Amino acid sequence: MKYADRPARLTLTIAAACAALAAPVFAHHSFAMFDFSKDVTVTGTVKEFRWTNPHVALLVEFDPKPGAAPEVWSMELTSPGNLTRGGWSRHSFKPGDRIKLTFNPMRDGQHGGAFDQATLLDTGQVISSDLRAAEKPGLE
Amino acid sequence: MDRVYVERPVLMSARLAGVALGSLLSALAYAAQPVLNPAPTAKDWAALAALPDWSGVWTPNVSDQERRIDADPAPWNSAAAAQVETLEAAEKRGDPKGLFINCLPEGMPTWMLISHNAVEFLFTPGRVTLLGESDGNRLRRIYTDGRQHPADPDPTFHGHSIGHWEKDTLVIDTVGILPEAYLAVSESVGVPNNGDVHVIERIHLEKPDVLRDDLVIMAPHVLSKPWITSRLWFRQRARKYDIVEGECLEGNYAEGSDSKGNAVFVPTPQTEGGNILPSTPQSGDPHEIR
Repeated sequence: MKYADRPARLTLTIAAACAALAAPVFAHHSFAMFDFSKDVTVTGTVKEFRWTNPHVALLVEFDPKPGAAPEVWSMELTSPGNLTRGGWSRHSFKPGDRIKLTFNPMRDGQHGGAFDQATLLDTGQVISSDLRAAEKPGLE
Repeated sequence: MDRVYVERPVLMSARLAGVALGSLLSALAYAAQPVLNPAPTAKDWAALAALPDWSGVWTPNVSDQERRIDADPAPWNSAAAAQVETLEAAEKRGDPKGLFINCLPEGMPTWMLISHNAVEFLFTPGRVTLLGESDGNRLRRIYTDGRQHPADPDPTFHGHSIGHWEKDTLVIDTVGILPEAYLAVSESVGVPNNGDVHVIERIHLEKPDVLRDDLVIMAPHVLSKPWITSRLWFRQRARKYDIVEGECLEGNYAEGSDSKGNAVFVPTPQTEGGNILPSTPQSGDPHEIR
C-alpha cells in the first residue's frame, strides 16, 4: 500500500508541487498561529501518527544537530475525512518512518507546525495535502 | 431549598400536591389534544421521489466562503464591529482566538457559513436532515411536515427549523438559537449572537452538481440589518467521499493504556489555541476502574 503503488498517488505528487502556492485549508480552529511565510525543512523520524478529529497530528523527532538533544515536534493537518479524499489513510505514516519534512512553524516558538509535505526517505514518495484541489464536483 | 423541605414537611406535601395537580392538568390537556407524528404512508415515501436529487456528499467551496467575507460582509452593528476588528487584528498578528476549540457546535447559521467539512442531506417523509462531517454534533433536523415553530422553543445550537418546498427549492426558517452561539465568519472571527436570531435559507441546485444556500440572517443584537449571503457545495459521488465519523473532543486525547492494560484515552497537552503539543502520553485515566 505504498503511495507509489497506486496511480492515484501521482496526483498527490502534483499537488505537492503546487502546495507552496496554495493557502492551506484547515477546519475547526484558525491556523493563523502558524507562520506561512516560513518553510522549514528537516529530517526526522515519525514518533506517532494520530488519525483523529478535528485535526490529524504527526509527531516527529527531528534529527538533532551535533551535540544537541533530539526534539519532538507536532505537525497539524486537517481532518481524517478531508485527508482521506486526498489519498491518505491512518497508515500513511507509521512510527519509525524516516522522513524529510517541510512545515510552517508556530509563530510563538512552541514545538508545533502546520504540515506542508513529507518525503518518505525509504521510497522517495512525496505525501502532501491540498484541499483547494477538491473544490469541484465529481472528484474521483 | 431541599433543606427547607426537609424541615417543613407540611409545606413539602403542599408543594407535592401542587406538582401532582399540575401534572394531572397537563396530562388531561395532552389527552385532549395529542400531537402525534403519523406513520408515513407508502404515498409519503413515494412523494420523496419527486423531490430534487440531493444525494451524494457535498464538499464546501471554501475559497468562495472566504471571498464572501469581503464580498458579502456581515453588517455588524457598532458594538459587534469593534469586537470583530479586535479579533481580525489578533488573527493577523498570528494570535487567533479559537472560537470553537471547546468543541461546542458552530451552530446555526455559522456551520453553514464557515465549515470546511462535508455534509449530506437525508430526505424522509416530513423531514430533511443534515449530517455534517468531522464533528458528531453537526446535525440539523428540518421539519417539512407543515408544523409551525413552538411558541417558546428551547434554545439550541442549531435552533428549530421548519421547511417547505417551493418547486425545487427548500425554504427553511430557523429560530430558537442559543444566544451564546457564535455568529462567525471564520474559526477565529465572530461574536455571540446574543439572541433573537432568525435565519431564512433557500437551498437549491444552482448547477446539476452545485448546491447553493442563499441565507438571510437576522441577528438584531449584533447586526445593523439582515445579512444576505450565500454558500456553495460540490457534489461528490466517489465512495471515498462517504461521510466518516468524527468527534471533535477526540483531539484532546491520545491513545494510551491504564495500569491494567486497558486501551484508554489520555489527555494530551495543547496550546491555548488548541494546537496539539508533543508529549509522551502518560498512563493513567481519570476514569480508570480501581
